[in-house]
Amino acid sequence: MVSVMDIFRYSYKVLTEKRFRAVLTIIGIAIGPLALVMMTSTVRGYASYVESQLLALGQNTIVVTPSSGYTLTESDLKFIRSIKGVADAQPFYMTQAIIKTPSQTIRAYVYAIDPSILLKAIGNLKLECGRFPAPNQITLATLGHSVAYSEGTGKQLFKLGDAITLLIPKVEHGGRTKLERVVVRVAGILEQYGGAMFVSPDQGVFLPELAGERLLHMKQWSGIFIVAKSPNYVSSIVNAIRNAYSDKVSIIAFQQIAKVVSSISAAMDFIAFSTSLSAFAVAVAGTAATMITSVIERTREIGVLKALGFTDGQVTAMILGEAIIMTAIGAAIGITLGSLGAYVMASHGLTISSGASKIVIRAPPKITPRIVGYTVAITLAVGIIGGIFPAYRAAKIPPAVALRYE
Amino acid sequence: MGEGGDGRDAIVVLKNVKKAYRVGEVVTWGLRGVNMVVRRGEFVSIMGPSGSGKTTLLNMIGLLDKPTSGEVIIDGIPASRLKSKQLALVRNRKIGFVFQQFNLISRLTVYENIELPLIPRGVPRRLRPKLIVETLLMVGGDKSWLRKKPTQLSGGQQQRVAIARALVNRPAILLADEPTGALDRKASRIVVETFKKVNASGQTVIVVTHDPEIGHCAERMLKISDGVIVGEVKPDPSKCILNTLRG
Repeated sequence: MVSVMDIFRYSYKVLTEKRFRAVLTIIGIAIGPLALVMMTSTVRGYASYVESQLLALGQNTIVVTPSSGYTLTESDLKFIRSIKGVADAQPFYMTQAIIKTPSQTIRAYVYAIDPSILLKAIGNLKLECGRFPAPNQITLATLGHSVAYSEGTGKQLFKLGDAITLLIPKVEHGGRTKLERVVVRVAGILEQYGGAMFVSPDQGVFLPELAGERLLHMKQWSGIFIVAKSPNYVSSIVNAIRNAYSDKVSIIAFQQIAKVVSSISAAMDFIAFSTSLSAFAVAVAGTAATMITSVIERTREIGVLKALGFTDGQVTAMILGEAIIMTAIGAAIGITLGSLGAYVMASHGLTISSGASKIVIRAPPKITPRIVGYTVAITLAVGIIGGIFPAYRAAKIPPAVALRYE
Repeated sequence: MGEGGDGRDAIVVLKNVKKAYRVGEVVTWGLRGVNMVVRRGEFVSIMGPSGSGKTTLLNMIGLLDKPTSGEVIIDGIPASRLKSKQLALVRNRKIGFVFQQFNLISRLTVYENIELPLIPRGVPRRLRPKLIVETLLMVGGDKSWLRKKPTQLSGGQQQRVAIARALVNRPAILLADEPTGALDRKASRIVVETFKKVNASGQTVIVVTHDPEIGHCAERMLKISDGVIVGEVKPDPSKCILNTLRG
């Protein structure tokens, strides 16, 4: 019985003889696992990040915003609160604001909303210091972490009790935009929330709901925040609103978005996998070409091995051993470079632009043992598929014919 | 199996062995019906001109090729009934090969070349060094060669390594195909001395050659021509290279 160690030792010696050819083949093989690990882990990293962000926003949360030409009123709020499964529903105002400090200009989102629903809707939202203002304290604000602290240096820009001037763009008659100055005082500062999907707590300035009309002079609600009693009610609430309002309102249910993102990420995962397979197909061809050349060059040597008593199976194992060693090295290099590439890609971040605002998502790649495992398995399969035919061909050469080969 | 007149049993028996090579419609006969018996412990030379079928005959005896018809029996085992795996096993255990061009693997060291037959035999790695060194010394080799590549040795030294490789499994039969064809006379003499030494220890040696100085060193000398054994000649030791080349 030939030991595996003997087979790999012999196969390794063969590869070291034609080093340059082996290195080129290994590079060809490494592209497959590199592409697979880099693309899959990056896609899964972003998908996982987006899903976790959406789920952190509350699996029970639904936001209804009016479409152009429709105004949400108290009767709409009353109707929504009456839908089965709705635990709470509160209107909110939302606008953008510019805050100028001596060192920097901050772009913030101003929300006038009942903080109790905010805390129910956004998981893990915590105060670092101070408090949320009472419903009638319309000139007090709670600041998101990125508003209170400089994002670049981490230096605190606003402390509790500081006055803060919000420059809010207002469209006047005739389409001209002017900046309206609104001064509020800091009552609380939120802990850093991290991430920034759809609602941006870190970049938010939170005022009582009453401030929307009285301080920000907004004439209509920006939307209604709804919290369902449980995630199971979300679909039926969304359907009830859709049936009642049709296209008069837009409905954002984070749970459903998470599902969509999940299915999109699965599709992207499949695309990444399919793309990588083409690299693997090239690797199979490359390995087969190398192995066929190697076998032809060593026909006489194969004859000698057979004369010395090596069986067809042992010769096959030795030739296949070369292909497996090359693919194992290729897999190791490809997975390592793919992982590094995924981290480089993740460090650049993914920019999502929507009008003037843009969000940069930086999600770490998701390199799991499962991804590494099936990448190794596919790469080794490449070696076996690419090597099996040349190995079989070598094993079947009659020894007398092989020994005559010049 | 039958025994020879001196009481030694037959280790190689060929019964009406024919070998045809077909290229398209053309059939060429390599062997036209060879009958021969080699007894255990004999030193036999097979002599004939180029193209007479010497190597084809050696390939039949060595189980490297299958006859078109006839029977090859090695140490009592009829080869025609063996499958590829069993043939490999018989080659590994019972036969050692020495080739004209040595056929050493240039990327492997001398140690690794001699080690090769021990691998399919499944000899544990810890037992190999002793066997390899003993065999190399037996054929007149030197321990200092073990780490060298074959190309760092002379032709004669390489052939001794090839003989060591053929003998490391202690096969019953040593087959040599023109073993001195690529060597000068001095190196050829050393090779023949080695064969004599091996034969003296009880191993059967069959050498195919066209060189009378080698053929006359054997105990029996068979003549082959046009694919058949045409006769047996009593060797003349005075024409053996061991006597014609003193030194």
